[in-house]
Amino acid sequence: MDSPKKIFRMGLWEDNPVLVQIIGICSALAVTNLMMNSLIMGIGLIFVTGLSSFTVSSIRTFTPKHIRMMVQVLIIAAYVIIVDIFLKAYMPEMSKALGPYVGLIITNCIIMGRAEAYAQQNPPIPSFLDGVASGMGYTIVLLLIAFFRELFGFGTVFGIKVLGDWWTPWTIMIMPPAAFFLLAVAIWISKTIQDKEKDDKKGQVVNS
Amino acid sequence: MKKSFSFPIIFMIVITAFFTFILAFLNYSTADKIALNQEIELSKKILYIFDILPETNNPNEIVQMFQDRIESTPFGDHEIYSYKNEDGEVLGYAVPVNGPGLWGSVEGYIGISADYSTVLGLDFISHSETPGLGGRISEEDYKGQFRGLDLTGATDDNYIIYRPSPGGNVDAIAGATLTSKSVSKLINEDLASFLKEGGIR
Repeated sequence: MDSPKKIFRMGLWEDNPVLVQIIGICSALAVTNLMMNSLIMGIGLIFVTGLSSFTVSSIRTFTPKHIRMMVQVLIIAAYVIIVDIFLKAYMPEMSKALGPYVGLIITNCIIMGRAEAYAQQNPPIPSFLDGVASGMGYTIVLLLIAFFRELFGFGTVFGIKVLGDWWTPWTIMIMPPAAFFLLAVAIWISKTIQDKEKDDKKGQVVNS
Repeated sequence: MKKSFSFPIIFMIVITAFFTFILAFLNYSTADKIALNQEIELSKKILYIFDILPETNNPNEIVQMFQDRIESTPFGDHEIYSYKNEDGEVLGYAVPVNGPGLWGSVEGYIGISADYSTVLGLDFISHSETPGLGGRISEEDYKGQFRGLDLTGATDDNYIIYRPSPGGNVDAIAGATLTSKSVSKLINEDLASFLKEGGIR
């Protein structure tokens, strides 16, 4: 069994779903023009990824191998609908702001990716942690991109005004292309740091 | 695991039934709450259009206010809401305005005074415009401009004209030209057909 520390390090940094695996990009581009939307989307995804990985893992020994994907999609869909119903009932404003994106959590590759790559081979508890870790990795990247988009596009952070009236909003930041640029920059920076880390590790092995 | 023919089918049926049951239960237990939310939402918007939205967050008060002052009558596929003062005198109507936006259909209501001369207010029930751009049609900065617009001077059914065109009376949203245009088009069209049907103009 993997230690929780390792699982989280993989999900958040070394194997970050958005920065390293480059999955879940669609929604990362779509909902990141406001930080609040990104946060709720991220929490929704953490919830769905964690619990669906847990469920897939719990029934993995009974699931016939050739229909496992059907089962996974069913489980994921069920949790997404739960999130949707919850938002509609208790956070109607948020449900409106996110609109169709909640339903689209279902098509987020991260969830099925984790179910296939991890939950299918590992016990429920680590699978749950792995799902949560990947979801958090996704959320952090989303929030980072949203921070810059909202700041430059509206002059606000979480809807609170930080830049004064002198600031001219960059309309392009609110539009999808900005997410492309920012995501590319984020991947570039993280990749550079990760390569450096790898080199350092190699150096240590040689030195010791 | 041995490969059997019937097991996967039974497995799938059982697991589908299980999740369907959970979802049906959740749906059933939150249906009232969601319906109430939608009712409050609509009440709030209609009250906002007539500018009589009470400054309270108590949903019961809002719904109560809505029931006391607003009356609905069917109009085509939609409802027209009429607004009365305490004595039962009609002060204005909320007319449904619908049409295509940039990404999807836009639905809203526009309030006009009982003598059809001025706009009381505008609000959108649903739209799917880009958040932060076209989506700003539902912000006060945009929809607030419609309060008190004069309708009598309009020619050729152009009730809403963006500045700086001649006769312009409201500002469009910068960076959301297509949404702004669609909104003015659908308001002008639906308002014109409502006023024509009523035989006013």
